[in-house]
Amino acid sequence: MQGWVTEHHPTRDGLTACVQCGLCLPVCPTFRLTGRETASPRGRIQAMRSVDEGQASVDAKFEEILDFCLGCRACEPVCPGMVPYGSLLEGSRAEISAQRPTAYRRLRRWVLGRVVPTPALMRILTVVLRILQRLHLIRLVPGRFRRSLSGLRPLDHAPNRVDRESDEPGGIGLLTGCIQEQWFPEVNRAAVELLRNAGHEVSIPATQTCCGALAAHDGHAEVAGRLGEANDRAFAACGTIVATVAGCSAHLVDRHGDGAADITAVIAAAIDEGRLPMLPRSGQKVVVQDPCHLRHAQKSIRPQRLILEAAGLDLVELDDAGMCCGAAGLYTILQPEASAELGRQKAGRISELGPELVASANPGCEMQLRAFLGEGYEIRHPIEMYLQALRRHG
Amino acid sequence: MAAIAELRDLLGSDRVLDDPLERRLYSKDASLMRGDPVCVVFPGDAEQVSAIVRIAARHGLPVIPRGAGTGLTAGASPMTGGIVMSMTGMNTIEIDPDNQAAWVGPGVINLDLSKQARPYGLHFAPDPSSQSACTIGGNLANNSGGPHCLAEGSTTSHVLGLEFVTADGQIHEVGGLAPDQPGLDLRALLVGSEGTLGIATRILVRLLPIADDVRTLLLDFPSVEDAARTVSDVIAAGMVPAALEMMDQRMVMAVENWLGAGLPTDAAAVLLAEVVGSTATVESEASIIAEIGRSNHARNVVIAVESEDRELLWKGRKSAFGAIAQLAPDYYLHDTVVPRTRLVETMAGVYEIADRHDLTMLNVFHAGDGNLHPLIAFDSSDEDVARRVKLAGEEIVDLCLSVGGALSGEHGVGVEKRDLMPSSFSALDLDAQARIKDVFDPDHLLNPAKVLPQGSRCFDFGGVRREVPEGAWV
Repeated sequence: MQGWVTEHHPTRDGLTACVQCGLCLPVCPTFRLTGRETASPRGRIQAMRSVDEGQASVDAKFEEILDFCLGCRACEPVCPGMVPYGSLLEGSRAEISAQRPTAYRRLRRWVLGRVVPTPALMRILTVVLRILQRLHLIRLVPGRFRRSLSGLRPLDHAPNRVDRESDEPGGIGLLTGCIQEQWFPEVNRAAVELLRNAGHEVSIPATQTCCGALAAHDGHAEVAGRLGEANDRAFAACGTIVATVAGCSAHLVDRHGDGAADITAVIAAAIDEGRLPMLPRSGQKVVVQDPCHLRHAQKSIRPQRLILEAAGLDLVELDDAGMCCGAAGLYTILQPEASAELGRQKAGRISELGPELVASANPGCEMQLRAFLGEGYEIRHPIEMYLQALRRHG
Repeated sequence: MAAIAELRDLLGSDRVLDDPLERRLYSKDASLMRGDPVCVVFPGDAEQVSAIVRIAARHGLPVIPRGAGTGLTAGASPMTGGIVMSMTGMNTIEIDPDNQAAWVGPGVINLDLSKQARPYGLHFAPDPSSQSACTIGGNLANNSGGPHCLAEGSTTSHVLGLEFVTADGQIHEVGGLAPDQPGLDLRALLVGSEGTLGIATRILVRLLPIADDVRTLLLDFPSVEDAARTVSDVIAAGMVPAALEMMDQRMVMAVENWLGAGLPTDAAAVLLAEVVGSTATVESEASIIAEIGRSNHARNVVIAVESEDRELLWKGRKSAFGAIAQLAPDYYLHDTVVPRTRLVETMAGVYEIADRHDLTMLNVFHAGDGNLHPLIAFDSSDEDVARRVKLAGEEIVDLCLSVGGALSGEHGVGVEKRDLMPSSFSALDLDAQARIKDVFDPDHLLNPAKVLPQGSRCFDFGGVRREVPEGAWV
């Protein structure tokens, strides 16, 4: 049996940390959908361990089992053995890329390594999407892309992006995010304004690039490593790297530890310390949707709630233990059926609750929620809601 | 293979798995023992279970029912090969609030049932530590207990009836809502039979009202003896708390390292006690338990009132087994029960055995009913260590039996405890049990080679199936 072939493979220590107790099963969205060990964290770890022990190889079945994982990491906080599932998954996917380099995987590596991190190309794509949006032609987009693109915000003709600066960087360095800066520029603008209001020095290094999270999740470890190193240089003079996308910040925190943070953590800290005000209650209700990469990967639940409370909103909780909405990065495209089922379930639970204002701190979740909730819902990042309230109270 | 083709015709090809890697993921449960199934099937109803059993019988293949695979005694490990039947697809819940009961599929997750029953003010009392993952079918098979079974009894007290399939493919129903069923109580025989007599396809469970008020106490002690004495004293005072659990220092450290709940990691042992009832009752009982604890040198007593605080304490207790992974890749545990009055000396003996074999021992258990879970954390790839673990395990069982205890409290026997059965049962007892098995499953197709050791029958030819020439006189 062919074992691992790359340096990124799942570590022996990480694999043996699992005693197969099964406490991860009920929180795993794909196990909940299928009831199958082959779609559970414990089963996937067993599959990796079988390769590690020479009892299985990185074959088509291994690929199928690992590809079905959302990478939501809901299994991590409930794991008393503290198995580093996220890194085991990335390692396995890196092995699949190396051992089973299909044309589709190579295409994805090229897109994630060359297209997405290049702002000029992303701008062209955005212009095309804007035209399709205006002419109501999104419905002509191929099936698996259409649904998530239907969840885009209306793209602006002249988006007021926060500009990357050529000045000497320092203080908090804002990672603009390759998709965030094109399709959700309002969130980055809100971040910069709030950070500066809170007394932070903020810089937006000009030489920054994509954080590499999507590439890492899809098994392109070299691409992710190259992008990470470029950002290490770009942000070298910054104290903390802050991202406004939960998926990006989770990846940065894994790489930099305390040297990186999600915007919600930084704004919540400023509110806690009185550098940003608690605003009066408006009586308006908001449903809190936790992105997996905040709630599970960063075990961060309180900051986004504090920000929404500080915005004067009344919180309405989804009693679903942070079950993934099915967006999960490329998952909507790679596993459209499972993604859609999870999207429908999440939208169903939200619509039962009543409020038509939904907070989500991740653009992928936002698009998925909008695609499945349909008309009538306002879905925004918590810091946008806070900034809006702050302006109202002048 | 012909059997697999027939199963595919019956269920559709996506509900029959037979790739080597898929089979491997179903080759064991949460225990250490691994088999190799021919395939894994996912039936959707009793008729399909029946049809699968008939196909299996025709091809002489054993059928191994499986819930969530959280069992610790290899009860769902396909040690004899055969067909693993995953029950997770049979997970409907029909709550009957007027009768305080529910019909559930065997694949329903224990905690899901209590969550669904909550709007009616009801819950399912058996609460194994794995309750967030384990299934009602598995609870039924193992007559599972849990911390709250001290006051409420184990699964058998909460199963009113069931529909099940026997080895000949027939669908039967036993028990029912009426409290006193006529005839032999076959329901009681099936609960705890570990899938060796039949496969449950629907289960009628009793639901209990949720208590008005609850207090959860955390007491920490400078010695294990003090904690054990507190347990005996609480029971001797005439109280039956809803739960009374003990964790020793090593266990608390492992749990706390993950949970960060502020558990006292410098205590030699902690007790977790819970009282339920009216507010007046729980307050007076909580103060009595706290007082008994203090008289036994408890250094600190925390009384949790808010549900968040109580849930955090229980989360720590119920995640204990998984937390052992921080210490070593494998663990081996026993599930013996000893009389509460012998708890202090037994605990001392258990630690002495581990020390003598130079093994890492942790203890977390249902102190209130004397149900011990001595755990040995080890690395099974070291053969010498594995040998000492087995030896120590046997000595622990002998010790517990010698003070008047029993082999298993709630985890079942499966394969792991099977060969220790003769230390609790005489040859005659085992033969009687084997004869019951033969009545239900004469060809030994349902979860074979589990529970009863080879040689249980007075004329046992060994092996899984009896191959006796026709006309032979035995």
